[in-house]
Amino acid sequence: MPNRKASRNAYYFFVQEKIPELRRRGLPVARVADAIPYCSADWAKPVFTPLRKPGMLVPKQNVSPPDMSTLSLKGDQALLGGIFYFLNIFSHGELPPHCEQRFLPCEIGCVKYSLQEGIMADFHSFINPGEIPRGFRFHCQAASDSSHKIPISNFERGHNQATVLQNLYRFIHPNPGNWPPIYCKSDDRTRVNWCLKHMAKASEIRQDLQLLTVEDLVVGIYQQKFLKEPSKTWIRSLLDVAMWDYSSNTRCKWHEENDILFCALAVCKKIAYCISNSLATLFGIQLTEAHVPLQDYEASNSVTPKMVVLDAGRYQKLRVGSSGFSHFNSANQEQGSNTPIGDYPSRAKISGQNSSVRGRGITRLLESISNSSSNIHKFSNCDTSLSSYMSQKDGYKSFSSLS
Amino acid sequence: MSGRARVKARGIARSPSATEVGRTQASPLPTSIDLSNNEASSSNGFLGTSRISTNDKYGISSGDAGSTSMERGVKNKQDFMDLSICTREKLAHVRDCKTGSSGIPVKLVTNLFNLDFPQDWQLYQYHVTYVPDLASRRLRIALLYSHSELSNKAKAFDGAILFLSQKLEEKVTELSSETQRGETIKMTITLKRELPSSSPVCIQVFNIIFRKILKKLSMYQIGRNFYNPSEPVEIPQHKLSLWPGFAISVSYFESKLLFSADVSYKVLRNETVLEFMTALCQRTGLSCFTQTCEKQLIGLIVLTRYNNRTYSIDDIDWSVKPTHTFQKRDGTEITYVDYYKQQYDITVSDLNQPMLVSLLKRKRNDNSEARLAHLIPELCFLTGLTDQATSDFQLMKAVAEKTRLPPSGRQQRLARLVDNIQRNSNARFELETWGLHFGSQISLTGRVVPSEKILMQDHICQPVSAADWSKDVRTCKILNARSLNTWLILCSDRTEYVAESFLNCLRRVAGSMGFNVDYPKIIKVQENPAAFVRAVQQYVDPDVQLVMCILPSNQKTYYDSIKKYLSSDCPVPSQCVLARTLNKQGMMMSIATKIAMQMTCKLGGELWAVEIPLKSLMVVGIDVCKDALSKDVMVVGCVASVNPGITRWFSRCILQRTMTDVADCLKVFMTGALNKWYKYNHDLPARIIVYRAGVGDGQLKTLVEYEVPQLLSSVAESSSNTSSRLSVIVVRKKCMPRFFTEMNRTVQNPPLGTVVDSEATRNEWYDFYLISQVACRGTVSPTYYNVIYDDNGLKPDHMQRLTFKLCHLYYNWPGIVSVPAPCQYAHKLTFLVAQSIHKEPSLELANHLFYL
Repeated sequence: MPNRKASRNAYYFFVQEKIPELRRRGLPVARVADAIPYCSADWAKPVFTPLRKPGMLVPKQNVSPPDMSTLSLKGDQALLGGIFYFLNIFSHGELPPHCEQRFLPCEIGCVKYSLQEGIMADFHSFINPGEIPRGFRFHCQAASDSSHKIPISNFERGHNQATVLQNLYRFIHPNPGNWPPIYCKSDDRTRVNWCLKHMAKASEIRQDLQLLTVEDLVVGIYQQKFLKEPSKTWIRSLLDVAMWDYSSNTRCKWHEENDILFCALAVCKKIAYCISNSLATLFGIQLTEAHVPLQDYEASNSVTPKMVVLDAGRYQKLRVGSSGFSHFNSANQEQGSNTPIGDYPSRAKISGQNSSVRGRGITRLLESISNSSSNIHKFSNCDTSLSSYMSQKDGYKSFSSLS
Repeated sequence: MSGRARVKARGIARSPSATEVGRTQASPLPTSIDLSNNEASSSNGFLGTSRISTNDKYGISSGDAGSTSMERGVKNKQDFMDLSICTREKLAHVRDCKTGSSGIPVKLVTNLFNLDFPQDWQLYQYHVTYVPDLASRRLRIALLYSHSELSNKAKAFDGAILFLSQKLEEKVTELSSETQRGETIKMTITLKRELPSSSPVCIQVFNIIFRKILKKLSMYQIGRNFYNPSEPVEIPQHKLSLWPGFAISVSYFESKLLFSADVSYKVLRNETVLEFMTALCQRTGLSCFTQTCEKQLIGLIVLTRYNNRTYSIDDIDWSVKPTHTFQKRDGTEITYVDYYKQQYDITVSDLNQPMLVSLLKRKRNDNSEARLAHLIPELCFLTGLTDQATSDFQLMKAVAEKTRLPPSGRQQRLARLVDNIQRNSNARFELETWGLHFGSQISLTGRVVPSEKILMQDHICQPVSAADWSKDVRTCKILNARSLNTWLILCSDRTEYVAESFLNCLRRVAGSMGFNVDYPKIIKVQENPAAFVRAVQQYVDPDVQLVMCILPSNQKTYYDSIKKYLSSDCPVPSQCVLARTLNKQGMMMSIATKIAMQMTCKLGGELWAVEIPLKSLMVVGIDVCKDALSKDVMVVGCVASVNPGITRWFSRCILQRTMTDVADCLKVFMTGALNKWYKYNHDLPARIIVYRAGVGDGQLKTLVEYEVPQLLSSVAESSSNTSSRLSVIVVRKKCMPRFFTEMNRTVQNPPLGTVVDSEATRNEWYDFYLISQVACRGTVSPTYYNVIYDDNGLKPDHMQRLTFKLCHLYYNWPGIVSVPAPCQYAHKLTFLVAQSIHKEPSLELANHLFYL
């Protein structure tokens, strides 16, 4: 039926979304056509689907999605252009507290990043850890083997600590003036701080860098944008993502060649990707190669944390509201069309993937519910989820046909 | 040999500050005297060391043995902490009787022995003070033991606390001795406590006594166990030798004090580190010798036969040679060569070898800097098995043949140990002076509970053996399977052919099980982890039900990266298979069957069930594990059944940042599980039984006071009117007792389903042993269950049978397993997360056994 699709306008989807609610009210609605009379009044009202109660459907959702009413483009500009540095220093393990030397810095990675531009520059170097304290070779070796696998001795790539630090300073602070803030993950902060101090001691350059945590940065950006604080779980899930582990141009050359996941540069770049992917898109920024590894991205955008966070009705609203998404979406579609898989037309493919996480959950939920005997109380729940699934999936289609 | 020799043998390089001995044991004295004491003790610093060469004069050796084991006894204190937790008295229904009665009685022999002592036996605890104060514990002991009042009494002394089995005449006894330097030391022995034989302190002292006795049988303590180097079992073809030995303990069981002993082996290699180095040097050449040598040796454990001590190699010092000198504790310099000659009469032949460096464990409350010991490679023997060795099938088989003793062999070894203790005059004397008498081996009556029927879809099957019913159910359909329509197979070019043939086999096998498997989309990828992950990212869309990856090698990164992505970022069940496994042509059918069963479970299917008479029962399994990457992260796995048939499970894994093995997050989990149950059954479960595994020694109190309340409160909050009744059972796979059945004048493993709930259990607990596994070789070990909380009021009989039934429900193995299925599931889940995923798996997978 070729013309059936054409008949699906926004009102169709609106009605479709309403069907479960009508059913719950006990109205005999089997199809969209049946429901139209009941919905006309609502259509006139401004549609703003209230937040669904965080259910068991997609537990990740219990992070409250951004409140769109506070969306304002004022003041964003400063935030968008703001430059952050993400820094990480790897060590050959951590020595016990009674040792004077707690860490043995061996690799450093740093990226210059802004929400607008993505990764602007990166810095990477191996560090000569110096003499390993007598008796701790095993300890250090074991720590290295379980993570970055950088050899603890006879590794000619390691640079002198003073040189590395000088280069880092030159990277962060090429011109006189204020030093920019440096960020690292809170778990790594003690180590990075210690290593910086240690290297400074060795090189006799004194410059106390201000080391802040990425988690606080995310909270800050989020707060500035949406005027409320995101949950810790949400931030953790935002930053702790495995999808870019193998992305090209993420690890340093040595780690890439040896196919080792733990790389100081990769940690910094992945922070940048995560922030781009989940926060920059909220600002309506078109993601570029500098934001995320796009060539890998098109296949995996089904799991961008943002997609998971938003609920169906809200999502539709958001997309209409912000122009950035359409760019983002079309960029993906172009790439997506190269690999036609599944039954979706290539333009709609992305939307199908977007619903992946949720769709599966619902089919399973439905199955599990149909397996157990029927329950009125729970049935309504399942109905709403069905509707959100449908409307979401089709909502994308409608959107892509709009754009 | 005395402890000093040991210390010296390590060639300790101590900084001067570290030699200062803290006088922690000093009793509070008036400050005026304290000053002079300081002087005295500092001058005694050298006295202590110079004096010890005259060991024999003071009869130090026996005292020393006592004191070192005393120290160990304190370390083992945690074991005894559990004993003071009396959970049974709070459980009204088992207060009088906790034994069951159903099942066929079976006579069992145990590895427990009676330990008799007079009715009025008492232990006297004294405190000893020295004036002027002495820092050296060795000297304190020597001085005290030289007194005739004590010389023929049974005693244990650690430098401050003295235990005697006979009371001294006075409450406060004053003694004085003269040191070799002519100083007069006054000792005051004050009676502190009189302890009845049931006191936990006595148990500690009993353990110390037995450690002494085993030493007298010329056994050496390595770790916690005792080994006999004089009767090694050789495996010449693999250059290995095994030292036979025992793990022993003394404790109170149901009503009596019992001694238990279990056979243990220490694996040693008949190769010194120097020989290893020479061989390595010949293989690799000099150019990269030091690097390969460091790579291969560092981290290994060596044993020095001159003192039978073990050390770990933490470093190799290439700059130090045996001809170099080191400073002894008294400050004199001596070369390593001379030292070993003097001390042990050992001649070091290779004077150019480097030295191994071992970081010594720091003593408690000792914040001094790390102490290093230099060891000579020529004198160090490698111990344990390398990874290379453990993957050598022939070698492992040879080792297993020697170490996995059948019950009869074990019984013989036990009999010999007992015989030795009773014949050796020294050992017997030690026992007798303490007033103890070594009694007979305990035999008791257990019960064999009836075997279980396995319920399949249209068939009830009575397996020939509960150990493995795969043959019995081969023709039966499984309970419930979702059909697999859209799925992917990822394989490399090389494995494409084998993947095809495996797929055919899988579809055939699955069909006969009642599991419909459609033809998948097969994707060929390059042989590297990144390619696999990219392919997964690219091809997994919402309709994909399952991803199967045929991995070209068992390199951990393949598995880890795929599992990590597919269980948290993009939650889809995944099945990894090694290409090597699929190449085993003859076994294709059984491999395919196993994989088909796993896949069914991963899709949310159910394989089989057993009859559970209790309706509305939820069983929960909890296990904990440390994360492999970050040691301060605890992985807590919780698995709860969500249907009355106990065939479907809700699994959740929570990571917590704590240093202890105690679960913090049980409330979150229980609430979730109860919600799930409510969703499926429209009611809350009437009974909840929690099996908690992964409990270490000394944690019982925390469990009772911290975890049980979490569970209780979540259960109470879930419903306003009638809340579910809860039981909490601690499951331990490792326990001391072993049981054998006597048959045709020889002993054998007891049959499956044997329950022991008397004599070998503890009076203060509601506990039992259950044998729910089969040992094809060696001796079966029972699983120990301790019910620490019980609202359900099930009869012990029912509790035991229910536990046995639950051991049948582990879907990864068509047979009975050693612990209840929820525990095994929780274990499997925590293991996957701790080893590969390192974060919480997506909750969308929680309804599936995605981790099988």
